[in-house]
Amino acid sequence: MAAVLRPSLAHKLSAALAETRLRLLNISRYPGQLAMEIIIPIVFASMPMLLGRASGGGAAAENFAANTGTANYVAYLLIGSNVFTLVSNAFWHVAYWLRFEQETGTLESVYLTPTSSLTLVTGVALYSAARGLVAAGLAYIVGCLIFQVNPLQGDVLLALAFIGAGLVPLYGLTLLFGALVLKVKESNALIGLMQWVVSFLMGIFFPVAVLPPLVRLVALLFPPTWMTNGVRSALLGVGFFFGEWYLDLAVLWVFMLFAPLFGFWVFNRVERNVKRNEGMGQF
Amino acid sequence: MAATGPALQGATLRGPRAWLSTLLAMCRKELTIMLRYPVELVASFGQILLIVMVLTLAGLMFSPTGLNTAADQSGQTAGVVAYGFVLFMFLSDTLWSIGYNVRREQKQGTLEQLYLSPASKFASLLSRVTVTLVWTGAMTVAAAGLLSLMLGRLPAENLPLGVGVLALALSGTFGTGFAFAALTLRIREAGQTLANLFQFAFMILCAPFFPFAALPDWLLPVSRLIPLAHGVDAFRSALMGFPAGYPELAPLALELAVVAAFGLVMPWLGYWLYRREENRARAKGSLSEY
Repeated sequence: MAAVLRPSLAHKLSAALAETRLRLLNISRYPGQLAMEIIIPIVFASMPMLLGRASGGGAAAENFAANTGTANYVAYLLIGSNVFTLVSNAFWHVAYWLRFEQETGTLESVYLTPTSSLTLVTGVALYSAARGLVAAGLAYIVGCLIFQVNPLQGDVLLALAFIGAGLVPLYGLTLLFGALVLKVKESNALIGLMQWVVSFLMGIFFPVAVLPPLVRLVALLFPPTWMTNGVRSALLGVGFFFGEWYLDLAVLWVFMLFAPLFGFWVFNRVERNVKRNEGMGQF
Repeated sequence: MAATGPALQGATLRGPRAWLSTLLAMCRKELTIMLRYPVELVASFGQILLIVMVLTLAGLMFSPTGLNTAADQSGQTAGVVAYGFVLFMFLSDTLWSIGYNVRREQKQGTLEQLYLSPASKFASLLSRVTVTLVWTGAMTVAAAGLLSLMLGRLPAENLPLGVGVLALALSGTFGTGFAFAALTLRIREAGQTLANLFQFAFMILCAPFFPFAALPDWLLPVSRLIPLAHGVDAFRSALMGFPAGYPELAPLALELAVVAAFGLVMPWLGYWLYRREENRARAKGSLSEY
């Protein structure tokens, strides 16, 4: 009888990177889509900017500083829209990967290979993070240059640390969306709704302090809220939630440990359930 | 003796009654499909509400007292955002959903079959518009109501004029949707990227989420050349009771003339373009290509 070979860590890494490469190769065929990813956050941030300039007049920056802690509303709004892009991309890429495989009828085949779904989803997450970071970074720099503010002010390294620490729990949460796709199948509208719920809770264009206490509490349970505020505080000095950068970063580290485990647990549970019942082939 | 066979079929498939019956059947089909996804219905409503709230809150960050801004002032900010958003929603829906529906039929391989049937092609396009009109209309009304509850009463002056401008602007956007469906037949998958580009151009040049005064001076002449920009301006100016400085692009009479011309000419122009592209695709045999 043939022995069952368990894939080593190197095998898993190789499979994950192959998935990443496949996705990157695929998206490289659509340069227009990539260009849109840089344009979207800039246009999106310019909406409140133009609205605010019109309603605030000459005192727009002063008013904005009184409400948010910084007069640099261009960078503040661009940070919000770019973190939002990172978050939305993460949700959509993982969910769309599963949905695409479902629709094209290859999901069942994928599950028949000796590679675990978590290895593949790690590959998708790596691709998504690479794509999102490049797009968000470029959109931020281009946006700052268009609106004539310095994109490299403040503590850039600390901002990058917040983004790096925030991405791990974020992709942990995306597994919940993966589970949703496995269970609900046609879940585009739900994911679309969730992306706006998260944008609202993370304070995409405003500080979460303006939210009612209960909503604020819920917002603080979302890693993107800490990521957004961390980046804004590092670059613009709006103030960390706990006063010091290392305390806020520590909270993200706690999320880093907890969110992926929770995501894996939910995903595995739904996956097992679907396998036992309707099967992976149904869409 | 009553007519039977081909003679009867010919009689029942022509004329206004047959056309109306086809349109109703197609609308019913589209609405039935839509109602099969109740979660999607609720989610898309929630999404709209959240977008308007996010942008309104962002706008209030620029006022001296933030969220404590007086209700009439916050109502004006919400009015600018909400009424612009109504037209943005309709444009986004019509621009892409008509083209998307054609594309979907093409992908699923049913577009060619649809063309082989004796059903009216115009009714087929119109049915997709009707669903948009019903659903997007219901959502925007509900979102405006909820927004009023949360952020203070939205200004709602000159309702008949506002509704008239909205109807004409919608008629024009449906025509734009037909034209875009024609383009989708030609460029196929690239249609989505182009639709996104159009949406973003609209978001800047037609100023649905901010007053035109916020646009740089060099962009204003470009906005003045877009009929829908006049639609946005006239619509929200009317509903906001023509506050000082509104309408911003041109005198009201001129804006109304532009919007009326847009609403009356664009549907015919769009449909003409669609038929032209459709004939081209049929001659080339590319209707079923995707």
